[in-house]
Amino acid sequence: MKVWPLKFREMSDGSMLFADDAGGFFKAGDDFLDRYATDGLSADDSLFLKEGSHGFERERDLPWTSFAYRWARRQSRPRKMNYVILVPTLRCNLACGYCQVSRAPEKARGFDWSDETLTGVLSFLGDLEGPDIKVEFQGGEPMLRVDLLEAVRDYCREKFSQSQFVVCTNLQKLDARAWAFLDADDTFISTSLDGDRLTHERQRTHDGDVTDAFFRNLEAVVARYPEGKISALPTVDVANPPDLDALLDNYERYGVRSVYLRPINHQGFARKFHQGDNVVARWNRLHSGFIDLLIARNHRTGRFMEEYYFSQCLKRVLRFDADNHVDIRNPNFFASDYVVVDHDGRFYPTDEARMLSRIGRIDLSIGDVATGIDRAKVDVLNSGAFNHFDPDCIHCAYQPFCGTDVVDDISRYGRVDVPRPDTWFCGRHLALFDKVFEILYRNDAPTRASLAAWLGVAAWDDGMAPVHS
Amino acid sequence: MIPLRVKVEVNAEEPFVVRLRSFEAEEREREPEQLNHFEVSLERADPDGADYAGEGGPIRVLGIDPSELDGDVLLVNPRRGTADRLIRSTSPHNTFLVTERCDQVCVMCSQPPKKHHVDLFTYFETAALLAPEGATIGISGGEPTLFKERLFTFLKRVLVARPDLFFHILTNGQHFEEDDRSTMTGLDQSRIVWGVPLYSHDPSVHDQVVGKQGAQERLLDNLAFLCRVGAAVELRTVLMQPNAPGLPELARFITAMLPFIRTWAVMQTENIGYGRMNWKTLFYDSSEGFDVVGRAIDLVRSRGIDARLYNFPLCTVPEAYRHLAPATISDWKRTYREECEGCSLKAECGGFFEWHPRDHGYGRLGAVQ
Ligand code: SF4
Ligand code: SF4
Repeated sequence: MKVWPLKFREMSDGSMLFADDAGGFFKAGDDFLDRYATDGLSADDSLFLKEGSHGFERERDLPWTSFAYRWARRQSRPRKMNYVILVPTLRCNLACGYCQVSRAPEKARGFDWSDETLTGVLSFLGDLEGPDIKVEFQGGEPMLRVDLLEAVRDYCREKFSQSQFVVCTNLQKLDARAWAFLDADDTFISTSLDGDRLTHERQRTHDGDVTDAFFRNLEAVVARYPEGKISALPTVDVANPPDLDALLDNYERYGVRSVYLRPINHQGFARKFHQGDNVVARWNRLHSGFIDLLIARNHRTGRFMEEYYFSQCLKRVLRFDADNHVDIRNPNFFASDYVVVDHDGRFYPTDEARMLSRIGRIDLSIGDVATGIDRAKVDVLNSGAFNHFDPDCIHCAYQPFCGTDVVDDISRYGRVDVPRPDTWFCGRHLALFDKVFEILYRNDAPTRASLAAWLGVAAWDDGMAPVHS
Repeated sequence: MIPLRVKVEVNAEEPFVVRLRSFEAEEREREPEQLNHFEVSLERADPDGADYAGEGGPIRVLGIDPSELDGDVLLVNPRRGTADRLIRSTSPHNTFLVTERCDQVCVMCSQPPKKHHVDLFTYFETAALLAPEGATIGISGGEPTLFKERLFTFLKRVLVARPDLFFHILTNGQHFEEDDRSTMTGLDQSRIVWGVPLYSHDPSVHDQVVGKQGAQERLLDNLAFLCRVGAAVELRTVLMQPNAPGLPELARFITAMLPFIRTWAVMQTENIGYGRMNWKTLFYDSSEGFDVVGRAIDLVRSRGIDARLYNFPLCTVPEAYRHLAPATISDWKRTYREECEGCSLKAECGGFFEWHPRDHGYGRLGAVQ
């Protein structure tokens, strides 16, 4: 039997995790590593590797074919543009501490789509293939321009057989027209809720009355619409994190069971703030603790909540088809299935790229609605948008599950060729996947119950993660 | 039970295919241009039978209300005075039985093989072309790929002529060859599902179930072949006493070796044919021993591979798995029991095969409130 190359990494319990390029993995002792490295596999080893499809006898036999299939399926290959993030206005009625760069004051002028831009956006949408489209309205505060949102939505409903709309709103001011817009079944709400009231006020609203207005509207939205209509994200300051227990209570109270814990994005401030190991390590500790907290809480309440990104990484490990999340997939080619249109009609590959360009660090715009997507520029970005040949990633056991983030690298280091282990992206993902594997090989009932819920299966048992003993 | 064969009187010698139509009075005027030359339309009906006329007729159908037959495609056998309802226009379960021959003898076969073979592909092709818009046509046997040249030609023609049709083909997977590669890739595989049985990861268990030495080895090679030609495979495992304990092992095998299947269908046994003869040694009471089933499908599903339970009465399945158990028993084979009286799941439940024994064998069964 020929064995496919195995990469390995020490696990928190001292044993070794092995993974092949198609994402097949197992846990074993370092005695196996010795035998593997010195070409001295035992009959037992060979049988185990054979049964796990880590090797093959001849080309095109079943193990060879299944390996090839899994490898190929793990490559993300979106081919159809069906998701657009629109920024109809940059103006906002809040001034959150970490958002200075991507907003304009409510009364400012020249930060909204012009008539020509709206026409350009609609004609861009009109050229998409269909039959489905998802539109996310970002800002600024998009609800300041419900008229533009209506124009886009009306157009899309007409043109596409399936369309879905998400409004990312701060829920501060909702007038009758705004409510009418949100009432539609094809329209969803995404908002920011930074945890408990105090944290939310400190980070976002800054004023008791404004905070009251937000929570009043949030209550109203939750009461008015079925569960699933509204999603929410907390932005977490690692230097001053909210009470995470209270955060979960609050989220559950508003019917949101999936929490995407996001660190404050230091977009553009990389030079001013020290971003050394310290921040990564602190964030990783916080995040890992949050997962343990979730497991304990789920066990206690019998109601299951998840950390969205962790569940995503968990699925990336176990499944070969979990590449629908734009934050983690490989390759992660830009402007392939989604694109951002800014308030001035310019295209950006991601929202982060938009903010980064806005502070004048670098121009990452890739064309505009009048002239179309600048493919030459996209190609330049794409040349770094996969981890297959990265000199560090090729030695990493997590390579088949991991991804890349070119824009984050540019934002933090001003370049894309920083050694992986020195990057924020790698530091986070190493820790994330360490946590995923720690959890997968835990044997306690609370962990198993949460795992099952996060994976959408009825039960998880300890035979489900392979061990070579 | 819905009859699949009806009595007819016709004035003809050779078998032929015909579609029955009933028009409302006001449509009668336009009737001629609406009928093609494989169609006949209802002229009159009396309590004993119904008379149809048209280019393909005349034909008198006996003993069934013509309203149940509108749009049906019949294969008429004049000598016997019968007609097979090849396509029932209102049913999603229409299957062409292309041969009764088979090279395997499975212990639970519901349709035990026979030596005799009559080639009906010409009629099947005509019938398929008359199928309702968007229909899925089942192909079964016997083993359809014993006549694979005929089968491939039939598929190719129909898939081209009717871009709206789909096929579901049951095959034991023993007869594909590397040489079939270009033929297979030439078919629009996105409209075909190949239902292929695998009973165990252990070759001796599988071979014993199918009654053929070396069958599993051949099958695995051919599953790899199906993967490489981009075929959609529905892997089918009938759950029985001989293979039930190994189900979790089979699940592990699937995650490692067969990640490309579209669905893994774990199926309850049908009490007919050899299944009835061997019932005592085959029937596995999954209502009592569900844990092997549950563990197996959880493992497969955790790896992103779809798994389903076919032919399981819903009340025998733990609640957490019921959403994986669609009502798969075809309408014409389906029945419910006294126990089903007042059951809240009845609308979603496939119930029982008509021929399932009175003493159903399930330790836990009964109406769910
Ligand atoms: S970025 Fe880091 S964790 Fe991810 S594959 Fe590369 S080396 Fe591994
Ligand atoms: S009682 Fe009858 S209808 Fe109800 S779930 Fe059982 S078999 Fe189905």
